[in-house]
Amino acid sequence: MVVTKAKYFKVDNKNTSIQATINGKDVCVPLDEDNTDYQNILAWVAEGNTIEEAD
Amino acid sequence: MALSKIDIENMVTGETPVANGGTGQTTLAAAGLTRPLSKPIIINGNQSLSQRTTSVTASDGIYCTDRIKHTLSNDGAATITQESLSSGSAFTDGFANAMKIDVTTADGSLSAAQKYHFRYNIEGQDIQNIKKGTANAEKLTLAFWVKATKTGTNIVRCYTADSDRSCSIAYTVSSSDTWEKKILNFPADTTGTVIADDNTVGMTFTWGVAAGSNFTSGTLATAWASNTSANDFVGQVNNLDSTSNNFHITGIQLEIGEFSSTTIPPFQHESFADNLTRCQRYFRSYGGGDAHEQIAVGYNSTTTQGATFLDYSSPVMRASPTLAVSANGDWKIYSIATAYECNSNMGASDTTPRNMKIFTPHAGSTTVGQGCMLQADNTTNARLTLDAEL
Repeated sequence: MVVTKAKYFKVDNKNTSIQATINGKDVCVPLDEDNTDYQNILAWVAEGNTIEEAD
Repeated sequence: MALSKIDIENMVTGETPVANGGTGQTTLAAAGLTRPLSKPIIINGNQSLSQRTTSVTASDGIYCTDRIKHTLSNDGAATITQESLSSGSAFTDGFANAMKIDVTTADGSLSAAQKYHFRYNIEGQDIQNIKKGTANAEKLTLAFWVKATKTGTNIVRCYTADSDRSCSIAYTVSSSDTWEKKILNFPADTTGTVIADDNTVGMTFTWGVAAGSNFTSGTLATAWASNTSANDFVGQVNNLDSTSNNFHITGIQLEIGEFSSTTIPPFQHESFADNLTRCQRYFRSYGGGDAHEQIAVGYNSTTTQGATFLDYSSPVMRASPTLAVSANGDWKIYSIATAYECNSNMGASDTTPRNMKIFTPHAGSTTVGQGCMLQADNTTNARLTLDAEL
């Protein structure tokens, strides 16, 4: 799985999910460690990448 | 044939009563009743459901038929399809569908790390009854129908992530492009840690299609052992070495215990609805049924955003799912008899395995607090999917 972009989505000033591009597809990933896409994003961050802050 | 009597002794000893005039008796285990009243362990083993797509170009992490994940890295290319069967031994055995890998670009010389595998993951809490890692651990039997252009040795590997242990069993495709039923016996694993009783991956079966030397240079691990990649797919033929090659599979069945081709219980076919419901724990799809299909209802959270509530609590999904949608323009917020086309990526909050709130941006301007719906914008191409696969 290739993560190319990740940006927090915020509701009421709280990060609630991550809008990401994974394998070329735009998805919205919950902050749930059981979710495999979230696991992939955490691995992507561990490689030195950064999740953008929400607008 | 009338049943003249049921011998209580048979029931006590675990033998199946035999109709008057019947020949021989069968133990409950041999009759496939080791899991009485239960459903098949492998979901969608008959490949009848393909919620995402019925045809897709192979890529790492992709799914075609439900529950089968393809993992690959090679210089070839392939198309994965859900195919309808109309002839052959698998068809005459009751299977109307199969998963097919059609090689479209050959890779006849795999580098060390290259591969093509597909796998089936089982949740740990669904495989506790094999008692892995205990003195009472059970043997397993994996059965399936396979048809491949390339004859020769293929490998299926069983892996348990909690203990990082694996066991690989070889089978032979004897005749090119001919359906053959394979029965693979996996030994019991009495050592290593037990499988965690939770919703994470407990056991994985991986079918080799092609494997580079990183996976083939050792000795095939036919007994359970700490996982060593070089021992995983030793002897695996390269099914990617010609564009003439196809690889098909269906009727995937996992049984607890050791069975042969003569004792393996019949495949447990489920109704389409039961199969769909079980698959929806891992993936579900909305849209396509109507040009204005209504997905969720809610309220206008701002003048340029609808907040809608989507319930998917039956069945509860394995984990909080990833939300994906087709093109933004496929969707609209409908509020007070006016449509507002989605103009940017949707977001989500309060996502659980049961429900989520979806935020749909648009150019506005709606009245905050008034009701709204999320629906397709006059297209049957609109798709909204939830993914909680392992």
